[in-house]
Amino acid sequence: MKIKLELFGESRDFSHQDYLEFNINNHLTIEEFRNLILEFLDKNFKNNKNYKKIVNSSAFCSENNTLITDNYKITKEQTIGIIPPIGGG
Amino acid sequence: MFHAKIIDSKVEKIIINNAQKFISSSKFGASIFFIGTVRDFNENKKVTGITYDSHDALVTKSFEEIYYEADQKLNIKDKAVFIEHIKGYVGLGETSIIIAVGCKHRDQTYILSRYIIEEIKKRSPIWKKEHYFNDESKWLKGSPILNEKN
Repeated sequence: MKIKLELFGESRDFSHQDYLEFNINNHLTIEEFRNLILEFLDKNFKNNKNYKKIVNSSAFCSENNTLITDNYKITKEQTIGIIPPIGGG
Repeated sequence: MFHAKIIDSKVEKIIINNAQKFISSSKFGASIFFIGTVRDFNENKKVTGITYDSHDALVTKSFEEIYYEADQKLNIKDKAVFIEHIKGYVGLGETSIIIAVGCKHRDQTYILSRYIIEEIKKRSPIWKKEHYFNDESKWLKGSPILNEKN
């Protein structure tokens, strides 16, 4: 199944598009999805430590606009938002 | 009374007069306008502007939660609150946020206005990318978002 990761803030540097797409075979927790994103960054940005730090300090958001924890299970195709550390206002 | 909106800088601007009209009421004896603007210098660098990024739905939701929380936490029942935050590029001196508050008494307006901006900083998913005179730009470091239930 396809999981679309919507990019915000610093994470926008991960792609020229507003999102990344991941094809996964099994259901994943957010914790496992985070590891998948880290693998993607390893492959595409040669172990860029700053990018990995962003992912490790980010929260995630479901498609109904709720912040979700690492235990949240992704069981169907959906869009997940990555919420890097914030600093607006 | 409550109004919250994300303003896309490509389409419109934050207009102070709109806030003034919204909170204007003979019920309120005091009003305060907090206006955030883009300043020209940060961390020893000359700034030319800021691009704001926003998760619009979560930001609007956080503004609503902050407004309704004020009932319980601050016990300020009668109030008018107008919040608008910019999204997109904003030049020097331009407005990035307005928080207009109308209450019965002046101490309530100071408390409520301060409460709203501090909670927005902690809880609203908004990001800043600063642009500098040498054509460089950089996302500013932030803090991990606080869940409203924390």
